[in-house]
Amino acid sequence: MTRVTRREFLAASGTGLGLLATGCAPALKGDFAPKTGRRVVVIGGGWGGATAAKYVRLADPSVEVVLLEPGRRFVSCPFSNLVLSGVRTIDSLTFGYGGLRKQGVRVLHETATAIEPDARRVRVGEGYLQYDRLIVSPGVEFQTEQVEGLAEAGDQVLHAWKAGPQTVMLAERLRAMPEGGVFVLTVPPVAYRCPPGPYERVCQVAWYLKNAKPRAKLIVLDANQNVVSKTALFRAAWQAYPNLEYRASNKVVKVDPGVRQVTTEFGDTVKYDVVNLIPPQRAGTIAVQADLVSADKRWCEVNHVTYESVKHPNVHVIGDSTIGLPVPKSGNIANAMGKISALAVVRLLNGKEPQALAPGNTCYSWVNDKEAIAVVNAYKIDGGKVVQIEQKLTPGQSAQWGQHALGWAASIWNDMLG
Amino acid sequence: MRITLVVLVVLAVASGAAAGPLDAPGADKAVVCSACHGPGGQSPSNVMPILAGMPSWYLKKAVQDYAAGRRPSPEMEPYAKQVLQLGVDEIAAYFSGQTRQPAAVRPDAAAVERGRAAAAQCVVCHAASGKGDPGKGIPDITGQPQGYLQSQMLLFKADRRSPGDESLKALKAFFRQIADEQIVDLAAYYSSLR
Repeated sequence: MTRVTRREFLAASGTGLGLLATGCAPALKGDFAPKTGRRVVVIGGGWGGATAAKYVRLADPSVEVVLLEPGRRFVSCPFSNLVLSGVRTIDSLTFGYGGLRKQGVRVLHETATAIEPDARRVRVGEGYLQYDRLIVSPGVEFQTEQVEGLAEAGDQVLHAWKAGPQTVMLAERLRAMPEGGVFVLTVPPVAYRCPPGPYERVCQVAWYLKNAKPRAKLIVLDANQNVVSKTALFRAAWQAYPNLEYRASNKVVKVDPGVRQVTTEFGDTVKYDVVNLIPPQRAGTIAVQADLVSADKRWCEVNHVTYESVKHPNVHVIGDSTIGLPVPKSGNIANAMGKISALAVVRLLNGKEPQALAPGNTCYSWVNDKEAIAVVNAYKIDGGKVVQIEQKLTPGQSAQWGQHALGWAASIWNDMLG
Repeated sequence: MRITLVVLVVLAVASGAAAGPLDAPGADKAVVCSACHGPGGQSPSNVMPILAGMPSWYLKKAVQDYAAGRRPSPEMEPYAKQVLQLGVDEIAAYFSGQTRQPAAVRPDAAAVERGRAAAAQCVVCHAASGKGDPGKGIPDITGQPQGYLQSQMLLFKADRRSPGDESLKALKAFFRQIADEQIVDLAAYYSSLR
């Protein structure tokens, strides 16, 4: 996938009149792209939003789709833990939005600042976009206020939980760490993005240290009572890493980069040379501002068939920011929600009853440079709700599952963005 | 000030619904498969089989075998049960009606030629064309990704695919007597066939 030029974009935008504005951030004022037919606006170009935008076009090419995504390149969170161990480069996980443009999606690299459900408008800068239906896929935001000192710490304390520059910075700090240094990784309380992600990261950091800095130590401070996902498989994998110390029920509530120290809720302090603090999370900011979140102000409840918000009509919410479905906050689930919500939105726009379709989840975790483990969940719709049919785990770790992981990634990135 | 490129395209759009690739019967139920098997079952990886153009009888058998655990797979067993819930006949008919494109990963030409010579042993069942014999339950093995074909032959060799299936005893005995390198060549050859 390559980045599409302006000429290619115009060519891919189909027939009709093209109006081009370019230059230094022209102010977007008023109805800056008047709606000429039925329109779906998608907020967020990640696993859920990119997929939804593409699949609305596949389901009904007469529906106009505008995707609002400030980032010009998509960076995959799945596989980004391999950047820490040096097994993958960040470039190998980075893709453009050219494939979506070829599907006829209008990709605008702008930030949605507000939603006006009554007027069916999304505010962008000083202007707005009108929609018939809106799909919001805002991902997660960090609750930095839950950890004392975190907001002030800035880049001194990295989350690397949204793949991108922080991932690369954390990899650099790991490489620069003293030979006998201590790497502290903290796991937030559930619910958070990618339940097995922190434990896969533990494997990747431990694998790197074992090979490159055998005298160094990895201390994991987990706010949860046990490994949240693939518990037995991760614990078996960790047998290979003698320099790993895992402490359950150790919620970190304070960080002080000045003295390189974190503090748990019991007052215990742990010194570090490099810290990776994964903060507690909530739905992306636009979902909170637009009152799409529940009373806890954290996550969004949705209809399990259409993904329409229980708070506002014609607004659908997908991906990590949803709650109430028995599914993990995973990229694969967001991809499935993107497709199902797109099909539902198109049927609703065409006056048809939405199909009762359930998502599925395939989740691989790398336990070293070649071997992976996996969990797979299948679901059905029962009484209007998503219900799990079955969950299966791989019987152990193997290079075979690693090969399957590579195939999965190639396929699903293409499904989203190709 | 951030440099931005803003393109506003005004399209003349018809007001009614337009047919898209997902209008075929069964297409909507099959979307959950596309994360791994590609839109329309056109797998873009070397690992997952291409479902597009796969005969519906074989796809249905595979789903039933996965769901029942006869073909052990922690990945496919849950999904097979989901497909059975949704309606395997409709989904199998949808994929079999899709036009298959060549596998994304092209096999090495020298391996294809070595595999062509080695395939003399396979034609008894799978026919010279590689298209098999649906009447005898022998599948079409042409045009699949090389990596997928290779992994299935290795599973047969290790008796990890359909373990204990009497009808596959001769096939597994055959694979046990050939080297893994020749399995790579056979996979390359059958992947190259259309």
